[in-house]
Amino acid sequence: MVAAIPDDMFTPDVIADPYNYYGRLRDEDPVHWNETYALWVVTRHDDVTRLTRHHELFSSAVFKNDPKPAYPAIDESDLGLYEYVRHYQGDQFIQHDRPEHLDMRRIVHGYFTPKSMEAWRPFVVDAVSELLDAAEKKGRMDVMRDLATPLPVLVIAQMMGVPREDRPYVRQLAEKLLYIGRGEHNRMPVLTDGMKGMLEYVSPLVDERIVRPGDDFISVLASGEKKGVFTRHQVLVNTSLLLLAGHETTINLICNGTLAFIQHPDQWALLKKDSAGAAKWATEECLRYDAPVKSIQRLASQDVEMRDKVMRKNDRIRWFISSANRDPNVFADPDRFDITRQPNPHVAFGNGVHHCLGATLARVEGQEVFKALAARFPALQVDTQELQYQPSITFRSLKSLPVTWQ
Amino acid sequence: MARKLRVWVDHDVCVGNAMCETIAPKVFRLNENRQSEAVDPEGDTVEKILEAAENCPVSAIFVEDAETGEQLFP
Ligand code: HEM
Ligand code: SF4
Repeated sequence: MVAAIPDDMFTPDVIADPYNYYGRLRDEDPVHWNETYALWVVTRHDDVTRLTRHHELFSSAVFKNDPKPAYPAIDESDLGLYEYVRHYQGDQFIQHDRPEHLDMRRIVHGYFTPKSMEAWRPFVVDAVSELLDAAEKKGRMDVMRDLATPLPVLVIAQMMGVPREDRPYVRQLAEKLLYIGRGEHNRMPVLTDGMKGMLEYVSPLVDERIVRPGDDFISVLASGEKKGVFTRHQVLVNTSLLLLAGHETTINLICNGTLAFIQHPDQWALLKKDSAGAAKWATEECLRYDAPVKSIQRLASQDVEMRDKVMRKNDRIRWFISSANRDPNVFADPDRFDITRQPNPHVAFGNGVHHCLGATLARVEGQEVFKALAARFPALQVDTQELQYQPSITFRSLKSLPVTWQ
Repeated sequence: MARKLRVWVDHDVCVGNAMCETIAPKVFRLNENRQSEAVDPEGDTVEKILEAAENCPVSAIFVEDAETGEQLFP
């Protein structure tokens, strides 16, 4: 008899090491019904690929249509706030299905083509180099605070035309929005605080772009209102979605990737030997090995079979990138960090029609960071006894990553 | 005479984002694995095909001049 797999996904051991827990589910019960949260947990690479590519079977309109209460449970007194969250989240274009999703994605897609994102590379190179100059002078750094956070915030804020002096405030609001993926019963007030603050903050920026469009990305979103694709509320929440998605995930790529290199000196040596040549596939392996986003949700649009299970219409489903990226059916020696893996069909950016809009941008940032670190630092060491992760089911986020190189 | 193209999709890379099918539906069709196949390289203008290739978020689409072999995308 195999021991039953516990259903609490927020325990310290699952947060510290998701690979053991979700890996066990993948190997023993790949389409698992989690009774505690009334939720399907899908962990294999082929199932995740099928699920994300069949948007007509698996709806992304989770917040609008999920008939079940929030999980983990929230305070009874916060049910009104949860309705606010549903309305806010539900208006993001990532939370829409076709046909609306296609119209919305077409407004923003052209801005993010691989070619147009390549044009940002010199900006990224300069920003990395400035941040590392400052760190080098101090002789130590917190990779999170001194590199991984300021870089993507700088890039996305520049793209969106957010004034420089406002960036720390945007980051503060973003930290509240991250409570979306957490388990505390009293998380709603912090979350809604962040949402309201974000709407208040971006509102005048959008007003201005409606009247005087520029070449920034908020103007692109605002053009969607003129074309009748977005309502004003949708422009506002999508502006805030982009501000958040545009940096939080990339922070994790930089921190988790740097940590993987520190823990695998042989791979670090390999990167140093030819950082320009190796950075592309090294970044892919970082995305695979310790993925920035752990899991995402869907709702079944109809009754649908997966393996030996039947999901019912409106059942909620969470698909796990962390376990799919370590699936032994797809990746040889999946727990090994190997920067020469090629091809590397990880699902860190999802798949199908919702495949990450910012994937190329994130790749460019990751590549330039790993290249620069390898070129400038002979060796890095972790400068703390204990590494801690945010207790989120969505994001794989270190709380900090202090390092030295002496 | 219109230029003849060779068009193909790298299935190690294609993530089934379906933007190519949206832009040039006669040229690109998603197969049962939801990956794109270049079913008819003459199904649309060269410009449309190149627009589809450029809008592929993972640069999985390759376009060549069928006669000269000149690479037109990427
Ligand atoms: C390493 C960094 C990143 C990771 C791991 C990541 C991951 C993901 C994943 C897994 C999805 C799929 C969501 C779903 O299927 O429901 C997604 C979608 C999305 N991402 Fe990213 N992302 C990253 C960076 C970025 C950046 C830099 C931006 C913006 C500049 C961005 C904007 C978006 C948007 C707007 C969507 C929704 C796309 C849609 O629904 O059509 N992401 N991302
Ligand atoms: S746009 Fe690219 S990734 Fe999407 S289906 Fe077409 S070839 Fe595949």
